[in-house]
Amino acid sequence: MASSITSSSSRLFPITRESQPTSHSTLNFSKFASFSSSSSASGSKTSSYISCSLTRDPSVLPLEEQSKLSNGSVLFQRPDSLGRFGKFGGKYVPETLINALTELEAAFHSLSADEDFQKELAGILRDYVGRESPLYFAERLTEHYKRANGEGPQIYLKREDLNHTGAHKINNAVAQALLAKCLGKKRIIAETGAGQHGVATATVCARFGLECIVYMGAQDMERQALNVFRMRLLGAEVRPVHSGTATLKDATSEAIRDWVTNVETTHYILGSVAGPHPYPMMVREFHAVIGKETRKQALEKWGGKPDVLIACVGGGSNAMGLFHEFVDDKDVRLIGVEAAGFGLDSGKHAATLTKGEVGVLHGAMSYLLQDDDGQIIEPHSISAGLDYPGVGPEHSFLKDIGRAEYYSITDEEALEAFKRVSRLEGIIPALETSHALAYLEKVCPTLPNGAKVVVNFSGRGDKDVHTAIKYLKV
Amino acid sequence: MMTCKLQLGAFASSSNHYRQQGAPNKVSSCLMVATDDHQDTFYKTNLPTKLAKTYVPTMKPLLEKELQERNNNTDAPIINSGKFGRFGGKFVPETLVVCLSQLEAEFNKALHDESFKAELAESLKDFAGRETPLYYARRLSEYYKMNNNGKGPDIYLKREDLNHGGSHKMNNALAQAMIAKRMGRKSVVTATAAGQHGIATAAACAKLGLECTVFMAAKEMEKESSNVQLMKLLGAKVEGVNGSFKDAASEAFRCWVGEMENSYHLTGSAVGPHPCPTMVREFQSVIGRETRKQALEKWGGKPDVLVACVGTGSNALGLFHEFLQDKDVRLIGVEAGGCGLESGRHSSTLATGEVGVYHGALSYLLQDQDGQIIGPHSIAPGMEYPGVSPELSYLKETGRAEFCVATDQEALDAYERLCKLEGIFPSLEAAHALAILDNLVPTLCDGSKVVVNCSGCGDKDAAVVFDRKLFHGKF
Repeated sequence: MASSITSSSSRLFPITRESQPTSHSTLNFSKFASFSSSSSASGSKTSSYISCSLTRDPSVLPLEEQSKLSNGSVLFQRPDSLGRFGKFGGKYVPETLINALTELEAAFHSLSADEDFQKELAGILRDYVGRESPLYFAERLTEHYKRANGEGPQIYLKREDLNHTGAHKINNAVAQALLAKCLGKKRIIAETGAGQHGVATATVCARFGLECIVYMGAQDMERQALNVFRMRLLGAEVRPVHSGTATLKDATSEAIRDWVTNVETTHYILGSVAGPHPYPMMVREFHAVIGKETRKQALEKWGGKPDVLIACVGGGSNAMGLFHEFVDDKDVRLIGVEAAGFGLDSGKHAATLTKGEVGVLHGAMSYLLQDDDGQIIEPHSISAGLDYPGVGPEHSFLKDIGRAEYYSITDEEALEAFKRVSRLEGIIPALETSHALAYLEKVCPTLPNGAKVVVNFSGRGDKDVHTAIKYLKV
Repeated sequence: MMTCKLQLGAFASSSNHYRQQGAPNKVSSCLMVATDDHQDTFYKTNLPTKLAKTYVPTMKPLLEKELQERNNNTDAPIINSGKFGRFGGKFVPETLVVCLSQLEAEFNKALHDESFKAELAESLKDFAGRETPLYYARRLSEYYKMNNNGKGPDIYLKREDLNHGGSHKMNNALAQAMIAKRMGRKSVVTATAAGQHGIATAAACAKLGLECTVFMAAKEMEKESSNVQLMKLLGAKVEGVNGSFKDAASEAFRCWVGEMENSYHLTGSAVGPHPCPTMVREFQSVIGRETRKQALEKWGGKPDVLVACVGTGSNALGLFHEFLQDKDVRLIGVEAGGCGLESGRHSSTLATGEVGVYHGALSYLLQDQDGQIIGPHSIAPGMEYPGVSPELSYLKETGRAEFCVATDQEALDAYERLCKLEGIFPSLEAAHALAILDNLVPTLCDGSKVVVNCSGCGDKDAAVVFDRKLFHGKF
């Protein structure tokens, strides 16, 4: 689930050449608490707020006009120097945060080239997180999808559930904590809804000896007392947020407030590929190890590439982690699966890329679920991690250019997949992951014999047992 | 009925049950304790006058025999001895002897079958997620060095918590489920204490398409309802049994005995009649083999000290076995001291138990004057077993391994310490191993290498620790 910067901060367009300022002052903190509509009605629906300096940038020209490399493959600049993926992305934040973001980006680029940093990170990923995660051939699942004539695709699961803490989240948390340490920051903040991202953050802070503060809505704290306890056991301070509805978005506002106040000493660990630049790029790069390993393992196992990659999409980090390596391989199909909740027509879902419209949320321009007045529609999904009204800007871009396809799966279909995969393979998927697995029902009948499908098994489902039992009546 | 010091345990009742079902009456040839003259002095009370020898004696202790075989050939040794010194054996009803022999033969065949070994290695890699890392716990090491001028041992954790299923149990469950499939069995039956082994077995059976029935003590089922739900989700049938783990274990055996053609009894621990202790130890020994390789890669040498918790002994044997021959490697097993040894509420079998027969093998066990089992206690459910692996009993008697004890409170403190220093939740079982570092570290020299087996993930125990803290008002 993406930890997110408050949406209203994004409504405060920076006073730069990028766009016209609205009525908000960038230092008006009280606005953080609300999802304000501001100028969104017009701002999100037209491109007038996007400065034409962006379209002058050659790297965001339409696909056909990309510069071709000598070997014929197309070079994507993702994102460009302003943090844009096409028209998506960007840095819609208060002026006070611009410096921090620029510093972060500079640090990221310099550490990416730093061998010592990369070696230390690789060592931590190997010994602490437990990488590489296997690419597991799901024999019984493959059998299940064989057609009457014995033909069907071959299904592989990329086992991110075997990581320390049981999900892909730690790849990014660990890297960002190491980055923060290199930057000399002693303090880490994060916000969390159900607690998963909070626990991952607290885990890495314990490992690196960093002070950790997690903001959590008071209501959420009551519902997730065990996760609160886990975070405290790990040495993190969990601060209750009582304002607003005392849930995730209010916790987000508090976290932002803290970051703005303490920006010199504090690093904000954002959990997904959403948020202002450089976060979408950074988080993607830190998760890209998933795709890199998959390429290598696919070569070892069947001497080729995967044909189809499937991943669930909430904020989009696990999907970008798997896809990124293969975006330039046109023969690899990329499929993202969002949460359709009670159904796309019910109004209770989180299918941002299917039903959303373009707007600015949490510091970036992307698709989001908004009504006619530009107000955020509260999303719903049985899985907390997919319960997000926005999506990473890079996914919006990949959808618009047609490079990736996005579909959605209802709560019910996800629960069916949850049960099916547990029974057939002895691995209990997280409810988030179950959405990706549920899509196999729809796609497998259409795939040719022997097609290699890799599903990103982004997390394990121990945490979802109680929820599932309620619905499944096992 | 049974008043001699030698515990008759499950097999007495299972054979009674079997008799009631109209099976041929073999009672006279079963049940207990075969004696060698020199062993009489160890057993103080009445023995039935007519006993049958139902165990397979060997001339030499297992250790030497294996060493010889290893020196003679580089192939996997034929595992056919059921004794570890005087411990071990096959104290079972006659009907089971045949089954166990068949199992042993199948196990031997599998150990020599290259394709089985390759398939197992691949499943361990892709399904279970091996190899598990050998992780340098820098902050934990520094915590101890802080009190000693920056000097002290380097502490490494063998991360069995990262296995699929969250513990080392999967190594064995997967291998045995594969053997069951090889033998053409359609279903697997097993017993579990807190549920970890049950989950591992259910997962392995789901993967291989075998039916799975797990027996669990009814009161454990209530306490560990999450684990029960996980097992059911994985497609296993969970049957409640009145009593404790030992009753569940007996019930599992009974169930197997009734269905021997089609079902396979998957033992989770290095206890029970031969070949079970040996099988479980062989399958767990991947832990030690990886550790040797990783130690060589990391610091170009061997570990100096190996520490592991001991409930029944499977994770400890898994780590130790590879290094039994390396006399310069110290082996330390840590048992559950519960509320303290004086309180009588603990599971410290090797520290305070006496030798007897339980669940088919001669080993140390917690028994009272009348030879009745003393109910064990530990905050860690996986350590709550009144017996212990016969091989560990042997290692204690020969002095090859040392055994000590950690109380519930010490384990809880160690649990919290690892969370705060390394961001890893150890299982309460593994926390016992971590707890004795407090006493061990000051005795070790600077730079010595300690490997602690982090045998399981402690997410499952967070609720127990939570309750404990609330109750004691520390939270």
